[in-house]
Amino acid sequence: MIDPFQTLGVEARFDLDPDDLARRHRDLSRALHPDRYAGAPAAERRLSLSRAIEVNDAFRVLKDPIRRAEALLRRAGVPVGETAEPKPSPDLLMEMMERREELGDARRRKDLAAVHALADAIRLREREVLASMGRQFAVSDPDSTKLAAVLPELGELRYLRRFLDEASAIEEELSS
Amino acid sequence: METMGATGTPMALLEIFDPKAAPRPIGIDLGTTNSLVARVRDGKPVVITDCNAEKLVPSVVHYDPRGRVIVGADAQRLAVDFPRETIVSVKRFMGRGADDPETRRLGPYEFAEPKTPEEAKSVRFKVRDRSVTPVEVSAEVLKVLRSLAEDELRSVGGAVITVPAYFDDAQRQATKDAGKLAGLDVLRLLNEPTAAALAYGLEKQKNGLFAVYDLGGGTFDVTILLLDDGVFQVRSTGGDSALGGDDMDRALAEKILEKLEVGEQRPRELVRFALDTARKIKHGLTNAERVEVDIPVGDGKQIPIAFTRDEFEAMIKPIVERTGVACRRAIRDAGITAEELDGVILVGGSTRVPYVRQYVEKLFGKLPLCDLDPEEVVALGAAIQADILAGSKERADEVLLLDVLPLSLGLETMGGVVEKILPRNTTIPAGARQTFTTYADNQTGFDLHIVQGERELAVDGRSLARFVLKGIPPMPAGLARLEVTFRVDADGLLSVTAKELTTGVEQKVEVKPSYGLTDEEVEAMLMAALDHGEEDLEKRQLIEARVEAERVVLATRKALVADADLLEGDEERARIDEALAGLEEAIRGTRAAIIRGRTEVLDEVTHGWAGRRMDRAIARAIAGKDVAAIESTVAQARGVEAHLAEHAGHNAPEGDASGTGS
Repeated sequence: MIDPFQTLGVEARFDLDPDDLARRHRDLSRALHPDRYAGAPAAERRLSLSRAIEVNDAFRVLKDPIRRAEALLRRAGVPVGETAEPKPSPDLLMEMMERREELGDARRRKDLAAVHALADAIRLREREVLASMGRQFAVSDPDSTKLAAVLPELGELRYLRRFLDEASAIEEELSS
Repeated sequence: METMGATGTPMALLEIFDPKAAPRPIGIDLGTTNSLVARVRDGKPVVITDCNAEKLVPSVVHYDPRGRVIVGADAQRLAVDFPRETIVSVKRFMGRGADDPETRRLGPYEFAEPKTPEEAKSVRFKVRDRSVTPVEVSAEVLKVLRSLAEDELRSVGGAVITVPAYFDDAQRQATKDAGKLAGLDVLRLLNEPTAAALAYGLEKQKNGLFAVYDLGGGTFDVTILLLDDGVFQVRSTGGDSALGGDDMDRALAEKILEKLEVGEQRPRELVRFALDTARKIKHGLTNAERVEVDIPVGDGKQIPIAFTRDEFEAMIKPIVERTGVACRRAIRDAGITAEELDGVILVGGSTRVPYVRQYVEKLFGKLPLCDLDPEEVVALGAAIQADILAGSKERADEVLLLDVLPLSLGLETMGGVVEKILPRNTTIPAGARQTFTTYADNQTGFDLHIVQGERELAVDGRSLARFVLKGIPPMPAGLARLEVTFRVDADGLLSVTAKELTTGVEQKVEVKPSYGLTDEEVEAMLMAALDHGEEDLEKRQLIEARVEAERVVLATRKALVADADLLEGDEERARIDEALAGLEEAIRGTRAAIIRGRTEVLDEVTHGWAGRRMDRAIARAIAGKDVAAIESTVAQARGVEAHLAEHAGHNAPEGDASGTGS
């Protein structure tokens, strides 16, 4: 398995500066993009395509806090993925279920403002969880036993993300 | 207006008469209504004209009773009398299947009933006694553009062809196939709005948000582009595929017929005449406030008809206002406001109409860019990109176009739900891998259905390909592990590979999306099109093999000068020298197969070194930063095959989403 931090040549940490990351991606793309090898022999074109895919993929992983956290945990040997992680708390499940019901109601009422409001609230919560996760990573790394402590928050983040995806799909549907 | 020949610059004349003219890259705007070809001359992009100094080739193809193909203005004239034998706006049919209900709506054509499932993958026009695919029709337009370019350049190198930003995989594949069929080496498919931005040299500003407003003859497109440190990205697109200058002509023609007091009975010739007159008046009103024409009504009599710009604007107001809806939506989709835009670019002949310009200015709150001819701007940008790709420009260090996937790519899973493998707006090239398992005991095959689009259910998306992975040994449900790999190249074209992991028996299936043609099909079509069949094809293959081989020799020699220090010992150098000598000898011969074989040998022996050179390029690109990290990347120095094997997607969750059973 390729390490996305290594592919992009950045330090393996959670609080990466998104601008630095984007700049690094651009610099690497400049060197590797298949357009740069349009006139090159076939083997080099293939190599450039594979490398560019690798770099784009690594960027996609590191840009996304959920997948970035997963990559960090994997590096430290902590099993990730919803089946490997501890079950989410009943409180969280209950709460998300209620929120989703509210979202469904707003959709049926075609109440775009209510959908916006629900999404905004979850987005705020997402920011809080991310900040807390960042602190946790900062104190735990590289101790893998301590790192496992971020797992519940990672799970929560996935629920929030799914909610936001659904909300934005509804926003699109209602405003078209 | 630039003309070639006697009035051309001495430089241009030199190019024309140089018998050893090097192949030169061209850029093509393959439009719905008109097409153009451009190239870079003395560092500047220019549109190539025909012998009448005409730049636009109407994208119209007529099939005459003797089996000849007529393209362009002549075909356009025949369209009125032979509507079924003359294909206009073929671009609208690109990548559409025979069962696509849209196709019936798009014109008066007859369609050939598909005889096999293979044939059903593409719609086929029935013209006279033959059936032709949109790819073949487009290729006819491209051939004319190619020969226009050849007249001026003698030898045409690679081509960049533009496509709308929203074109899906099938439409892009069809466009590329048309290029191949026209005998073009398609370097790249380029998004039209990106081409327009390139033509304006916007990349020099490094950063900014731009709207590209493209109102053509029959289509309207709007695109929001983000330029981020020299890298272009499409943020959103929108439009109306049945809105354009033709609607203005029709509105004006109605008024003309009214003034001529034509009743219900409207002879076809008269309608055509009214449309032609309307177009002339529209063009006239671009610069004049009032246009008067005399309409001959027989017996030497004439009726004068006049229109003022105000009258015309009142007529087209509802048409132009329809573009506003799509624009506001594209702005919203991009998550921005109109005030945040740094510029608006006008594209398409209909944006010459002063009222359209005023409307755009009001809509976006800023004066649109219109220094370049809006009809040429896309072709000019394509020529610049072709020039960059051909490696002839120092500009290559400044500009990089990073395109994104316009629509999500996924697989149909249980219950017809689409599992997205690569979401839209993913930077391309891209790859991803997903593992699936069987849902039934003793299931020996997987049905794989590849879908493009944002909708949750496969039936609502665009079906790109279906294939079955067979030969899985019987085992309990959930034990088989099917690994599906998606790869999208820089043109946005997809290839899919699937293999079963647990049994150790690896099975690989390479699929091209349904609407594309296989290389063999293209070859067969080429063969059929050539008068002398096989002989010509051989000649052509020899030329192609030589061009490619010469390119490889040149690139290798260059690299030997620049990166000799990366060679591992004299042995590697000796192997490369030997392969080079062998290839050069083959180039002097006349056997295409030997040239290709020895090109591969050279590829093979330079391949480790090529990896090291690429690592050096990376190190230079991020010079000074984290040298240690880069060196460790360099140290990995994997082979191409290893890369292919482990590329991308490795971090896709190992979901247990069940593949659809078969």
